[in-house]
Parts: sequence; structure tokens; C-alpha cells
Amino acid sequence: MPYWRITLHRSAIGLPKRTKGVLAALGLHKRCQVVFKPVHPQFAGMIMKVKELVKVEEVDRPKTKRELQDERKPDPGFVVEKRGSEMRGALPWAREVGEGEVRL
Amino acid sequence: MFGPFRITSALSGGLLWKIPWRLSPTQKARQRRRLRAVDTVVEVLSNSLAKTGQKCTAVERWKAEMPTEAEMLPRDKYTMFDRKAKRYRKGIHKLPKWTRVSQRLNPPGF
Repeated sequence: MPYWRITLHRSAIGLPKRTKGVLAALGLHKRCQVVFKPVHPQFAGMIMKVKELVKVEEVDRPKTKRELQDERKPDPGFVVEKRGSEMRGALPWAREVGEGEVRL
Repeated sequence: MFGPFRITSALSGGLLWKIPWRLSPTQKARQRRRLRAVDTVVEVLSNSLAKTGQKCTAVERWKAEMPTEAEMLPRDKYTMFDRKAKRYRKGIHKLPKWTRVSQRLNPPGF
């Protein structure tokens, strides 16, 4: 089922109460906030009321809060090739600290 | 210097417009960008509704009645009808909240 990813791009400060009400009904309360709504004429009409304030994309499924946070994460600059727990056998001098964790 | 009776050029000189009567090229470029952004939103809505075989009156009406940014005349993009203005036109930036409202059509003949 396709969804619309709606981002509040412009604030509704100083705009009519009804415009603010539509945004609140969509669940948009602050700028750059993202909500997902299913593709349905009802939501199309609501988006049309605030089309100057939002950015809309079509997506296959809604993203979770965690996935939205990960989108904003900067590139860490390194790649994890192996975790400590995988290196237990490979390094004989490493001592085990707790469950599955290895410290050198 | 402060307070309600301070002397400013607007208060002491009478008529002084602080809003320029026309848009700058940058303002016009941003206005076009905003018009295109609204066009994109409408396009996305109508495309995904058509894909799922649904209809929305508001989207259909907008598509039928409103010109897109490319179809609009420059005079409609940057100016609007005003019955009190000389030659019945004023800059669109005189419209309150003009960056967040749609103002595309003007009376025919003006």
C-alpha cells in the first residue's frame, strides 16, 4: 500500500486557523517534521489545503522513528568489518569481558 | 530616540513606502521556485491517486483550473490585480503572506 511522506517545510505562523488546524490534523506541529499518510483522497484533500507549506513524496511503506533518525545521521567515516565478539577465537591474548564482549 | 513619538523618516516625511514597488530578480527566482514546488506537490498527489485508481475533487479542480508555473505569464507570476492600483496591477509581494499563499489567476482582461 503506497504512502505519502509529508514534510512540513514552511511554518503556518500567521496563517488562518483552519490552515493550522489542517496541519494539526495531519500531525504536523513543527517544521521539518515528517508524517506518513496512506494514499487516499481524504489525505489528498488535506494536503491540497496546505500544499504551499509541505513537501510530498510517494513511498512504499512508512518509516519508523528510528529509521527517520538514521536518515539524518552523518557518515561516521569508518566501516565496522568485525565486531569484538567475532574476534574471540582469532586473538588468543584477548580476554573476555562479560557476555560476548572482548577487550584487548 | 525610542518610544511612540520618535522621529523616523516614515513618520516625519509623510508618504514613504518601505516596500519596493517591484520584485528583485532573486525574489522572482524564488517565487518561480515556490510555484514549481506547489506544482510538484499537486503532481505527486494526482500521480499516486491515479496509480491506485482513486479520485480527489480538490486535486482534479486544481489541475483543471490552475496554470502551472511554465504555463503562467510573467505578469501573473510577479504581479496581481488590484482595482485601486494604477493600471490595475500591483506587485505580488504586496499580498499578505505572499510566499505561503497561492495567487495564480487574475480577472480576465486585467
